[in-house]
Amino acid sequence: MTRASVVLAVSLLLCGARVARAQAASDLLGQGVRRYQALEYDAAAALLERSLRRDSVTGLADSLQTRALTYLAATQLFRGQRDSAVAVFRQLILLNPRYQPDELVFPPQVTNLFQEVRRSTKAVAVVVPPVTTMRTRVDPFKARLLTSSLADLTVTLAREDGTPVRELYNGPVADTLVLSWDGLTAAGTPAEDGRYILRVMPRSPTADGPRARQVVLDVKQQPPDTLPWPSTPALLPERTSTGPAFQSLAAGLVAGVAVVALPSLMAQGKDATGARYAVGAAVGVSGLVGFFARKPRPLDANVRANASQRDAWKRRVDAVKAENAARLRTMRLVVRAGPETIAERGSP
Amino acid sequence: MRIIRLIGVLAFAAPVLAHSQGRPSVLFRGDAGFVWVRSDTAPAGAGAIRLRGPVLGGEGRLVFNGFSVGLGLSSGTLQAADQTSAKRDLIEGRLLVAARPLPWLEMSVGPFVRAYITDAVTERWVFWQARARVDAPIVTSGLMSYVELWRAVSSQVNLVAGAGRVQGGEAGVTYRPPNRPFALRLAYRVDDAAVRGGGDGSQMLEAISVSVVVGGQ
Repeated sequence: MTRASVVLAVSLLLCGARVARAQAASDLLGQGVRRYQALEYDAAAALLERSLRRDSVTGLADSLQTRALTYLAATQLFRGQRDSAVAVFRQLILLNPRYQPDELVFPPQVTNLFQEVRRSTKAVAVVVPPVTTMRTRVDPFKARLLTSSLADLTVTLAREDGTPVRELYNGPVADTLVLSWDGLTAAGTPAEDGRYILRVMPRSPTADGPRARQVVLDVKQQPPDTLPWPSTPALLPERTSTGPAFQSLAAGLVAGVAVVALPSLMAQGKDATGARYAVGAAVGVSGLVGFFARKPRPLDANVRANASQRDAWKRRVDAVKAENAARLRTMRLVVRAGPETIAERGSP
Repeated sequence: MRIIRLIGVLAFAAPVLAHSQGRPSVLFRGDAGFVWVRSDTAPAGAGAIRLRGPVLGGEGRLVFNGFSVGLGLSSGTLQAADQTSAKRDLIEGRLLVAARPLPWLEMSVGPFVRAYITDAVTERWVFWQARARVDAPIVTSGLMSYVELWRAVSSQVNLVAGAGRVQGGEAGVTYRPPNRPFALRLAYRVDDAAVRGGGDGSQMLEAISVSVVVGGQ
């Protein structure tokens, strides 16, 4: 048997044990509820307490936990142990400040006691999605604050080392508040990569007030994709080439020189007349005429066409520039939230 | 005799070529010019003779698909510069067959006859010329310059000494006014003909000509 097989077998055994225990807790809860419904409160209380003790180990779902606590509180109330019932309800409210027992299932004395405890128990909870992909200024990060009763709260965001980043809310919360964070710091810049702490605290801490809660947020920037610059347009020539002008000049001058040099080339040593100079000069002048006739000049149609192309290209560049600036302003952030915890007094 | 044979061949060949190559075009050129001749081909001790005078001439060409056949003639009366020698008539005739292998290059061959005629004697030169002409546009095809050089592949003269090396050249400019059926040409030409066995004897002819060219475009 290989080492990997041993590890796999042990893992399966451990997982199987956890599943079995969770199933046992659920079964205990079911048995406890049945005993409660059969008015066997002592047995019900014992089974429900056992299910909750198992639950603390295996991590039952919150819904089962709140169900177990509600039945346990009702059971304790009917057993005549009102203080115990109050304590269980308080635990329930701290677990989920917005929980309400089903009035069709539980009689008024149970729900009334719950409401009484709820009024006297100041609890607050923060609910955040585990992962949020947001864009600064555009798509905010959202968190829900839940309170058991009216509470004055301050919600702040700070770096892990305690450096304040931004105050997100300061005021009363009656029941639920949806909190938005646009991803910016107090300076208006996108939050940098790092760990942040979202902390919900009572504005005036009191002994019976809600305890501060906090959630660790792991923020990571994702640079936005920017558009590439538009390619430069293929422009038409705006002036005629200098080549033809110099070709004309060369053709005239070469022919003029040829006229003058012909006797030297073809009749060496002979005394030629000066007539050739007149013809050579005339031919040379024709080259100059050609040079000036074909000298570079602006091509108005091309200049106009290029101007409109340049304007269109500049507009495209400006549009891309504006779009890229907007994209860079709205940085994409990925926010991963840790579990909600109770903030220790004096913690940063 | 050779010239007559060539003319006969061309006379028969030209219509056949023209018919086979499509519609030919015809080009005529009329020349007016002035000629200077310096000749020291006379017997020793006679000294050099300098002649000059106006000439008129013309040339016709049949052009078809880069080939052409032409016939030219010019004549004039030359006076001696010192008024001591007798005047002479100058007559030149030329027959050519030309091809244009490149748009700017024309090659041609053909016989050339030049005669100086006095009351007493006629001095006649006959060359078979090979010519090369380069055209260069100055302003597109409206204003063109050209340079043409030639050399005789064979030459005859009815002088005692006989003909030696004969060569020459021509350069000028052609202007075709826009939307006009003619062109104007200004040219300078120089021919040099040496005699064989006559010491340093030679004959140089210079000419300036203004021409009107009709057709051809």
